[in-house]
Formats: sequence, structure tokens, C-alpha cells
Amino acid sequence: MNTQNKKFIRIVFFFLLFILISSCQNKEKINPKAYITNQGDNTVSIVDLKKLKVIKTLEVGIAPLGITLLNKKKLGFIGNVGTDDISVINTNTDQIIKTIKLNTAPLSLTSSPDESKVFVTDWFKNNILIISVEEMKVINSIKVGVTPSGIAFNAKYNYLIVTNRDANTVEIYDNNNKLIKKLSTGEHPFGVYTEGKYAFIANVYDDTITIINLEKWSTQTIKVGAHPYNIMTQNDLGFVTNTVDDTLSVIDLKTNKELKQIRTGETPENLDLHKDLNLLVVTNWGSDSISIYNLNDLNLIKEIKTGAQSRSFGDFILH
Amino acid sequence: MKKFILTLLTLLFSMSVLAHGPTPQKVQESITVKIAPSKAWEIVKDFADFKKIMKIRSFDDEIMKIKYEMLKKDGPFSDYNAYIIVKKGANDKESVIQWTARFYRTYKLNPPIPEGQDDATAVAAVKKIVGPGLKSLKKALETK
Repeated sequence: MNTQNKKFIRIVFFFLLFILISSCQNKEKINPKAYITNQGDNTVSIVDLKKLKVIKTLEVGIAPLGITLLNKKKLGFIGNVGTDDISVINTNTDQIIKTIKLNTAPLSLTSSPDESKVFVTDWFKNNILIISVEEMKVINSIKVGVTPSGIAFNAKYNYLIVTNRDANTVEIYDNNNKLIKKLSTGEHPFGVYTEGKYAFIANVYDDTITIINLEKWSTQTIKVGAHPYNIMTQNDLGFVTNTVDDTLSVIDLKTNKELKQIRTGETPENLDLHKDLNLLVVTNWGSDSISIYNLNDLNLIKEIKTGAQSRSFGDFILH
Repeated sequence: MKKFILTLLTLLFSMSVLAHGPTPQKVQESITVKIAPSKAWEIVKDFADFKKIMKIRSFDDEIMKIKYEMLKKDGPFSDYNAYIIVKKGANDKESVIQWTARFYRTYKLNPPIPEGQDDATAVAAVKKIVGPGLKSLKKALETK
């Protein structure tokens, strides 16, 4: 074989190899993933939601808790309350591309729908820190009430909603970072979720959910299981993690009544869902795992071991 | 020099404690007992030593799990919730008893955290309950 031919074969070989590698990568990219913060071992477990298994365990800062994912920008923001910083993950490569120093504990995170900003509750100094995604740094802060815990962004009204755990209140801020409403909640409000004209808050100590109508500013209370931590809704159903009962309350949002409770792993804390795959994912702090349910019948599909003290406070499923 | 290193270590240690913030703490310990799980469960459900310090919250016979909250309010920890599960052991005549406790330190405000109210103190105190508690349970289970 002459040199010319060898060269040609080599080029063809590398071309085919390139196609093979890039097609594999593309395949990886398509699968939705769940990012699970494991506060006990300083890692994030990345779970492929089609293969239903952990595909990577990423070392982050100390005691990771809060999370928000930017689906279009393919970025994940993880709040480390032990090292007072944020690990930014490129979700295409699943590698850490940046660490943002805060000098305060980031308890929870959320992002604006246009993915230009990430909002972080500053547990120690009672602020909401605003991070510019483009600049990857804190560009502004809003002074809020004590112990800001859960945070959510309402896309309908452009409201930022934050619970004040030790004050038993919820605060709602507008686009100009101005407080426009402060309402009473149940005792020890923690997780908050918002969709359309409603906000939903889990009150840990009095085993209830507060539902706020953001148009009329009226509130309603629903009794759920013991020590509810977070809530999420889908169509006319609400799902609440009851940390002490090890159950998920299923709420009918038309009648505002609890329909039933289904069993989770131990100490279920947070939850997120994937509408196309019809999956509901719950993080279990006690059993170091996640429980994956079919959204149609709420049957358990699989419980997957993750890392120590799995929490993922925030939106943790990448679509 | 020695003193300097010691000071530095103390400083580093206290910094790491300070930095931890509002994190729930976990103590999880297991013990293997030579008794069948169903028999172990009947005794665990009614174990008097635990009732002295903890109030039973709920039972689940199906998964052999019992939940407790703390009666003792003077310990250096707060919001204590625990559960004990009886699991199958290596064979029919063996069980594994697992005790998991979730709690917080007593000081919940911003740093600096007063001595004796931090995470490490809370964990140490709960370990002193869980370890000996499991041992006394093992004794009771294996003598009955």
C-alpha cells in the first residue's frame, strides 16, 4: 500500500471515529438528567432518567444543598453551605466550570425564566443575592426578612417569592426588587413552589400547606402529613413531601383536599418532575436515595441509591 | 511554633464548624442480633428503655419501622426525629436493627456559635444515645 492510500485510510478512520464519538455524545445530551445534591458527602449524583441509573458523581463544595438548572444555557448552580460558595456545572460535560465565592451560606436557589439571573437566599445576612449568569458573579442584593429559606420565581407576574422560616411569613418582590406583599403563613414555612397565579408553601411545624392566590392575595390552608418540606404541582394535583411520615401527600387542587399519601424513602425532602417522561422524582435524605414515580398512576418505578443525605433543594431535573 | 500550629488548627476547626450553618445532622448506626426479624420486631416495638427517653410517633408493621420523637429536652440538640428499622440479617435467624436520627444543633442563629451549641456537640450527644441504646436492645433481644 502506498503512502497516499495509507493517509487516505487514516483520514477515513478518524472521520468515522469522530462520527461515532459525536453521535454517542449527542445521545448522552438528549437524555434528561436529575442532579442530586448529597449534603453528607459533598457530591452531586447525576442520574440518567431514561437509563434510571447514576451516570456520574461529581465532587462539589462542602455540604451542597440548593440547586437550580438552566435548561437552555445548559448550566447547573449548586449552593454549598459549608464552603459558602456556588459550584457552576456545565450540564453538557457535567464538569464544574466555575466556583462563585459568596462569603455567606446559600440556602436555596432559583433562576429567572430568561436564564439571565440566578437568585440565592443568603441565610446569615437576610438577603437575596442576584447573580448575573453572563458575568458569573453577584451583581446586586435585596434586603429581606429573617431566615430566608425557600425561593421561587413566578413567571406570570415576574415575582420573586421567599419564605421567612423563623418569622412565619412569605415575602413577594417585584421586578424592581421592591417588596410588594408580606403575608402570614403557617409555622416554619420552608419550601415554596409557584405556577400561574398561585404560590404554594410547605409549613414544617404545623403540617400544612399555604396556597396563595397572587391576584387576589387570598390564602388557603390544607392539612397534610407530618413535617412537610416542599411542594410541587402538576395540572390539578399537588405533591408534598412529608419528612417525618416518609410519605408524599397527593392533593386535589380543585377541592383543596388531600387525596392520599404514598410511601417514599426515608425522610423525603424535595421533589421535581419531568412532564414528557411522566416522572416524579423525590429525594430521600434518610435513605440516601431518590424515588422515581410514574406521574400517571403514582406507582414507584425505581428507588436509586445516590449519596449521603440527598436533598436537592430547588429544581433539579434537566429537561 | 507548636503553639502557633495549635492556634492555627483550632482556628481552622472552629471556622469549619462556623461555616456549616443550618444543616440537619444525621447519626445512623446498625447492630446485628441473633433473632428472627419478626420476633425482633415484636420486642423492638415495646422496648421500655426507649420509651423512657422517646415518645413513639408511629409504627409500620409492614416494613417493621418505628418512629420516635425526643422527650428529653435538655440535650444539646433540637428537632430530634428518629426511626428504627428491623431488617433481615444474613440468615433466617438474624436481624439487623438500624437506628437513624435526624436533628439540629441547639443554636440556630447566625455565627458566632456559642460553645456547646454547635453541630459537633449535638452529634456527639446523639451518638451517646444511639450506640448504648442499640447495645441494650441487642442484650434484651438475645436473652429473650
